[in-house]
Amino acid sequence: MTPRRSVENALLAGPLVLFLLAVLGFPTLLSLIYGFSETSFQTLTTPQFSGLKNFRDVAADPAFWQAAWFSLRFGAITALLQCGLGLALAVYLAPLARRHGWTVAILIIPMIVAPAMMGLMYRLVLHEFAGPVPHYLYSWFGWSPSFLGPANVFKTVVVAETLQWTPFAFLLFLTACQSIPEDLREAAAVDGTRPWRLFWKIELPLMMPTVFVALFIRFIDGFRVFDNIYTLVGAGPGGSTTSMSIYIYETFLRRGEIGKALAAAILLFATAFVVLAAAPRLLRGRSA
Amino acid sequence: MTFKTCLHASVAALAMMASGAVNAEVTVLGWPGGPEETALRAVTEIYNARPDLAAENKVELLFTSRDGFFDKLQVDLAAGSTAFDINLIATYSIGRYAPFMEPITLSDQAGAVFGDTVLKTMQFDGAQYGVPTDLSLHFLYYRSDLIDALLADDAAKAKYSEIAMKHLGKAMEPKAPADWTWEDFVANALYFTQSINPDSPTRYGTVIQAKNLLFNMMVFHSWPRSYGGNWMDDAGAITVDSEAFRTALSQAKMLFDLGATPPDSTSYEYAEANAAYASGQVAAMVQWNAAAGELTAAQAATGTSAPPAGPDGRFTHIHGLGLGLNKAAENKEGAIAFLQWLSTEEAALAYAKAGGAPGLASETAAKLAADRPDLVQVGEYASTYGFVMNGGTSENALSVYEVQAKEFTGYWAGTQDLDTALKNTAAAMTDLLK
Amino acid sequence: MKPRMTLRWIVFAIAAFVMNFPVLATLITAFKPPGEVARNPSLWIEAPTLQNFAAVLTVSDRLNVYHYLWNSTFAALIGAVLPMVVALPLAWAMVRRGVGRGVLFPLVVNLRALPLIIFAIPLYMMYSVVGLLDTRLGLGLILAVVNLPLTVMLLVNAVAEIPAEIEEAAHMDGARLPRLLFKVVLPLCRPALITTFIFGFITAWNEFLFGLMLTTRDAVPVTVGASFFFATSGGGVQWGMAAAVMVVAALPPLVLGLVMYRRITGSMVAGAVKG
Repeated sequence: MTPRRSVENALLAGPLVLFLLAVLGFPTLLSLIYGFSETSFQTLTTPQFSGLKNFRDVAADPAFWQAAWFSLRFGAITALLQCGLGLALAVYLAPLARRHGWTVAILIIPMIVAPAMMGLMYRLVLHEFAGPVPHYLYSWFGWSPSFLGPANVFKTVVVAETLQWTPFAFLLFLTACQSIPEDLREAAAVDGTRPWRLFWKIELPLMMPTVFVALFIRFIDGFRVFDNIYTLVGAGPGGSTTSMSIYIYETFLRRGEIGKALAAAILLFATAFVVLAAAPRLLRGRSA
Repeated sequence: MTFKTCLHASVAALAMMASGAVNAEVTVLGWPGGPEETALRAVTEIYNARPDLAAENKVELLFTSRDGFFDKLQVDLAAGSTAFDINLIATYSIGRYAPFMEPITLSDQAGAVFGDTVLKTMQFDGAQYGVPTDLSLHFLYYRSDLIDALLADDAAKAKYSEIAMKHLGKAMEPKAPADWTWEDFVANALYFTQSINPDSPTRYGTVIQAKNLLFNMMVFHSWPRSYGGNWMDDAGAITVDSEAFRTALSQAKMLFDLGATPPDSTSYEYAEANAAYASGQVAAMVQWNAAAGELTAAQAATGTSAPPAGPDGRFTHIHGLGLGLNKAAENKEGAIAFLQWLSTEEAALAYAKAGGAPGLASETAAKLAADRPDLVQVGEYASTYGFVMNGGTSENALSVYEVQAKEFTGYWAGTQDLDTALKNTAAAMTDLLK
Repeated sequence: MKPRMTLRWIVFAIAAFVMNFPVLATLITAFKPPGEVARNPSLWIEAPTLQNFAAVLTVSDRLNVYHYLWNSTFAALIGAVLPMVVALPLAWAMVRRGVGRGVLFPLVVNLRALPLIIFAIPLYMMYSVVGLLDTRLGLGLILAVVNLPLTVMLLVNAVAEIPAEIEEAAHMDGARLPRLLFKVVLPLCRPALITTFIFGFITAWNEFLFGLMLTTRDAVPVTVGASFFFATSGGGVQWGMAAAVMVVAALPPLVLGLVMYRRITGSMVAGAVKG
């Protein structure tokens, strides 16, 4: 590499690195210290080094593993549902969207609403006595499932998350779909290709990179879910809707076990880092 | 005219901003929304109007969000915030905030105005950390129309006995709510549940707010306490894994299993439970005294009484809200002066008249009998039935409630059995209260 | 052709109704008077009223929704634009030259998986020392961190989609790096930049926990300010008022999203014509 190039590269990467260091440098350093110390709100300025004790505590805490499992399951299921639905809607409604742009506007409204508020909205909408959904179910069928009861609460939060964020996947796919050159489709139409075949043979392969990006983003967002679940049902009876973020938040602020919460965060970050080390390889494969 | 008003307003606003910047006032972080805020505003106005009060000691109020209020306060205090001189504390959180606060001396009148029980709700390690402002406890709310009808109907009484026999193993008779034990509460809840008694006028006999939330544990605590339950004995041994807690927890579990409380109630907190009662589909519930206005407005035929009794007597969990001194306060002198004034009879009476709910000694409350008869009832219940669990003001009290909320709601929702729930709770509490 | 289009309209209508149902119900609730919310759970309003909105839009000595909206706008703008400014050069360097691919990229992207609120205490301490506590700038900076992972992901993706030949052609013409970035890469990334801006602005606008922790008075954003309204009369949630303030709080990002959306389609059409 020529010296000029490396100066250039430093200038290109510099702003981001400096920004991160300025805002998160000190917090990260302090958090690392806290993670390896016996830390509570009372000992913020005098943390006692305790080695790996916090990490052992976290690993021995069944609630941590329960939260990890919840987040993995929630992230995977919601990402698949959202991307499946979003892709189907985007491809099917693309002709409509091209002619009537406002239809897209209507469909992306849910993701514009704050997730914390969405959780509150569902608290009202699903309430057995004050909410419209059980109200109509009762008046039409004389029965309504208990949406937030122990048996259904997981399904309910999955559906709520999916309905709010399918528009995100939809928008990404619609953009990708519309950037497919029209002459490709026209050529296919001239050849007499049926729409279904057109989708599998031409549109989907061209949209594959976006599919991966969307799945990835939605998985991460599902994994770290916090606001909407927390305002809707909290940590859940017996901690049954405790996601990783909720676990860390409650350990940190509610139980005041700062060292343990940070140890959990460090573990989470390290694991995700190792997993993600594969992602650049994916990117390289594509851009080459 | 409009232009003039505008100009006037902006000048006033500018002046306010300027004065805020120059004067070191006393800033009070209060409990946002509701009668507590209204009352605090009213007494602040009285205090600020005192002629002998120096301009730099005038009181300014600060209110933040109710959502996450204590999480934010925790961070503010721990990081040594100077944004306020006086902050809100609650009985269950004094221990946690005490390291960041300073004990105060109240006025000489305080003992007579509030009484010892109430002053104790603001003490930690023998030191007074706050002026009590509001006292919270629980009432049994019931639909008097429905229960009167039941008591007047022999066929209904027979049905009641039959249901009690089937589920509780005893042929019980319906009683007036003021005489209820927790068994009567359970039998009544079963009788008024449509899935058990198709003739019931309400869909559910009761509603138990069982979201995994610490406040819901406070509502529940009167139940095990009346069976003699406590967090720990006088020697400091954890006694949560006891017959008392087992009985109360499994009685409640029975109501969940038989559908006598809405199936969603494992996600209910205050607002949802009130909405259920307000809809007319619930016959009786134990709820905070603060709900009285809302519930009576929605169902006019609503009676209130102290929570049901158990073998050890009748109890209601009490906790207080109060105001105390931030260790990092910039104007400590002014802050202490305000806190001392708040603990005088003049301030307490004004606070109550403006809608607050201070726990007052009976002599003080008597002076308000015309304005606030409800405070007489609250004061009476607090002194007769009020209790704080052993360890309920300790450093980790908040965490103890949290643990119980998690474990007990898990048992009710069926994610774990009673033995596991109590074993986990006892283990965590041993760790937290050592 | 015709029946197929009709079917599309039906699918659109169902999807729009189901996905927007909570929003719709909230909008309806906002027009119900306080007493009606508990009594009438249906979607029909018996006595429509504007009193909830009037209450939200009235400035009192404690509640000032305009102030919260302004704070949110300011902070969300910083939170959306700043990450794009720092991420675009890096995105190009990463795609074309592999800079930071091994460590920096996973490091930044991973931040999205973390509940960043764990940094609340050290951030609070740091902010109070440098005077950023309870300021719009301080809030904006941390919102920028929140947005950084998604911004990096979307911009790396966008740069990777630019055909290398276009840049090579510009390079042949003797364009230097800054010129290349500003005159070639930036315009070609425009749709992605707009999308990123919209996502970033919305995310920043909707953030609650940092808004709660790092502000008390001067810089309170509207998500936190909205929660002030929920409990204005007692412990219970005032649903009508809560619904009204949620509608007001969601309007600005909604308008932005809708207006900017037209620009995305517009720029894409332009690109197609040019191509």
